[in-house]
Amino acid sequence: MSRPGGLQDVVDAVLRSKTGIIGLSILIAITVLSTLALVYVPFDVAREWNNPSFWQYNPRLALPSWVNTFISGKFPETIIISNDSFRKYSYYLDIAGLKYCILEAEFLYPYKDFPSELRLSLYVDTEGAFVTIRWIQPSGVDIIIWKGSFKQGLNTVYISRQIDVREYIRDSLKRLNLTVPSMVNPEVILFMDNSVAHSEFTPVNGRYKVRVEAVSSDPYADIKAELIVYGKVYGLAGTDDKRRDLFVGLVWGAPIALAFGLLAAVATNFIQTLVGSLSAWYGGLIDEVIQRITDVYMIIPFLPILITISVIYRIDIWTLLIVVVGLSLFGGATKTARSMTFQIMGEQYIEAAISYGASRRRILFLYILPRLMPYTMANIVLSVPGYVFLEAALSVLGLGDPMMPTWGKIISDAYSGGAVVHGLWWWILLPSALIILTAISFAFIGLALDKVVNPRLRER
Amino acid sequence: MLKYLAKRIALLFVTLIVAMYLTIIIANAGGLIDNILKAQLRYEIASSLARAPGWSQLNEEEQRKIIDERLQAAIQAKGLDRPFLERTFRYLVDALTLNLGRALFITSASGSKTVSDIIIERLPQTVLLFTTGTILYSIIGLLIGLYMARRPGGFFDKAFSVFAIVTQVIPPWFFGILFIMVFAYYLGVTPFGGMVSVPPPRDPLGYVLDIAYHMALPLFTWIFSLFGAWAYIARNLIVQIAEEDFVNTAKAKGLPENMVMRRHVLRPSLPPIITVISLSLIASWQGAIITETVFNWPGLGTLFYQAINSLDAPVVIGLTVIYAYLLVATVLILDLIYSILDPRIRSGRV
Repeated sequence: MSRPGGLQDVVDAVLRSKTGIIGLSILIAITVLSTLALVYVPFDVAREWNNPSFWQYNPRLALPSWVNTFISGKFPETIIISNDSFRKYSYYLDIAGLKYCILEAEFLYPYKDFPSELRLSLYVDTEGAFVTIRWIQPSGVDIIIWKGSFKQGLNTVYISRQIDVREYIRDSLKRLNLTVPSMVNPEVILFMDNSVAHSEFTPVNGRYKVRVEAVSSDPYADIKAELIVYGKVYGLAGTDDKRRDLFVGLVWGAPIALAFGLLAAVATNFIQTLVGSLSAWYGGLIDEVIQRITDVYMIIPFLPILITISVIYRIDIWTLLIVVVGLSLFGGATKTARSMTFQIMGEQYIEAAISYGASRRRILFLYILPRLMPYTMANIVLSVPGYVFLEAALSVLGLGDPMMPTWGKIISDAYSGGAVVHGLWWWILLPSALIILTAISFAFIGLALDKVVNPRLRER
Repeated sequence: MLKYLAKRIALLFVTLIVAMYLTIIIANAGGLIDNILKAQLRYEIASSLARAPGWSQLNEEEQRKIIDERLQAAIQAKGLDRPFLERTFRYLVDALTLNLGRALFITSASGSKTVSDIIIERLPQTVLLFTTGTILYSIIGLLIGLYMARRPGGFFDKAFSVFAIVTQVIPPWFFGILFIMVFAYYLGVTPFGGMVSVPPPRDPLGYVLDIAYHMALPLFTWIFSLFGAWAYIARNLIVQIAEEDFVNTAKAKGLPENMVMRRHVLRPSLPPIITVISLSLIASWQGAIITETVFNWPGLGTLFYQAINSLDAPVVIGLTVIYAYLLVATVLILDLIYSILDPRIRSGRV
């Protein structure tokens, strides 16, 4: 260190080098993304993230929507037909003492691929009703999906999953003398032309009709319906196996990752530098004790101890932060700060300060520590990625914060949800890309700072 | 040299004790170890009494009374009623002698429930993968570092520096997830994880080849993520030493380039390289925990994952103890090499 380096030098070094500017721009982009989090997501994510009913209108494991711009046959979007879109006829037959409610809705299906799932919810506002659900294809083929009685309240027909739905569909097709494909899901059969046998399946485009016929003995009976034709694409980042919008998780992960990484890096590096400088400045027994403690600290199995703490006390992400700082009070930076302090102590202005009677504490805090700051800054920048990945690593081990959608948590969910094995690339690559970009931005800024922090000083 | 080694060994021993004691204090602050030990004593007493003649004739009340009496006696005999500090020292001695108790749920392949058996069974796999990986990436990294140092500032040097910086900040397990996706899912050239096929091949040669086939991707990942940083460090050290006056003197004397490199540059850069290896090995032993989990490699890391997910506290604590031993042993071996390589220590001048 030939001349006193200040924070100005740090900023200059970053702005003057190409890598520094690239790193800084990526970092700014991610910061913008994390402020977007607050605009895009007006609700309390920590509370809703693990609430399945909040996400029920999203398709499961949907690709990001922008995939459609790259392929010719477009993947379907989700179509939601709410109660308002159903036309309703109801009449009461006095002779029979029966009330008929008929709901009918029509929707256009323009996509080249089948939907992923179908779900029909019925809200029955009477003691009980006998309901027939019909599916009318553009060609006029009328298929009965389900028939039976419903109790009062909300009833949901999971068209794609229920075994009895498949039975009804098969019976209808047989009655109409159409081909009955074996082992094909309802969301496929209902959207294809069953009049001929197919070698490969393509959906018929056109206007489909859903008709719900309910019969009840109660003259005031009423019924509401809602049909969801789940698509195969959703939002900017797709969805996971619990139908959650991954984009929400990704933008919310950004501030959490940055805050965790930066706080941990700043706290550990400042403490380690301070301790190292104290050690050199006060010397003697203090120096000896601090050096031996640092030696011990550097060999301690940090991660296993952290895992033990997480397993036994089940801590959240901010407690984890405190524990991480506590386990890194001494370390590599302590050693370097110590040797740099020794070097600075030999300089004349320190001698001058001693001679005009500056207190020891004043010299340490005002004359020595500021000189160490550029080095500490570089170290902080370089150690941020490590802490971001540490959080991710603990999440992969199943020790992450269970409530917060962090990047690590999303990757860990993707990993345990079989994203790697089933090639659900968006679920794993998008959070990975964000983590890698963050890490690289810090690494690039750190590389730019290498010139401020003379590499010679990093060796003992 | 002996004095230096004695000092290092003393320090490492203190480190070992501190690491273990810290683990024990953490684990027992909520009384966890006490409860585990008491539950194990109760289980042992109950199961030995269940075999006693006439035991089943006693009613439940009497049975419980007898178990409680014996348990109290056993607790006193084992010293579990002693004050907190004294107990923790007993546990420390247990940990140092690898007397790690019984697992709650996990069983070793041979059917033992003793924590040390379970761990020792997993140790060879971890050592196999990571020792091979570490040796390979050190050699590859060192060679590339040497090559970079020949023309510092050249295209290869600059390009590789960026590669090194990027791979340095991304941990191996992270590359692992991405590589499994690419090589196992999209290309289908490697298995998704594990160490042997199910069922394993019968003949010994097939078995070895099968392990090699499963080991390829984790090994590649491990090397890929670490050799860059390693080459960068070696390059920096060599470039720095190559600028020293004594190197210029050697060149001025007209010594051949190769001899200058070997005697005047490489020799003095070895001790600091060893220091760096020792620190990076400590980090990589711990990084191995998650890398193994990702590749489902049946070593200590995967055991850690299983223990965490079945909340098997004795195994978690036992593994922390084993990792303390592993790290200390690694540092000790490198200290030995260091003391042989550094002439100042070898001749006893430090």
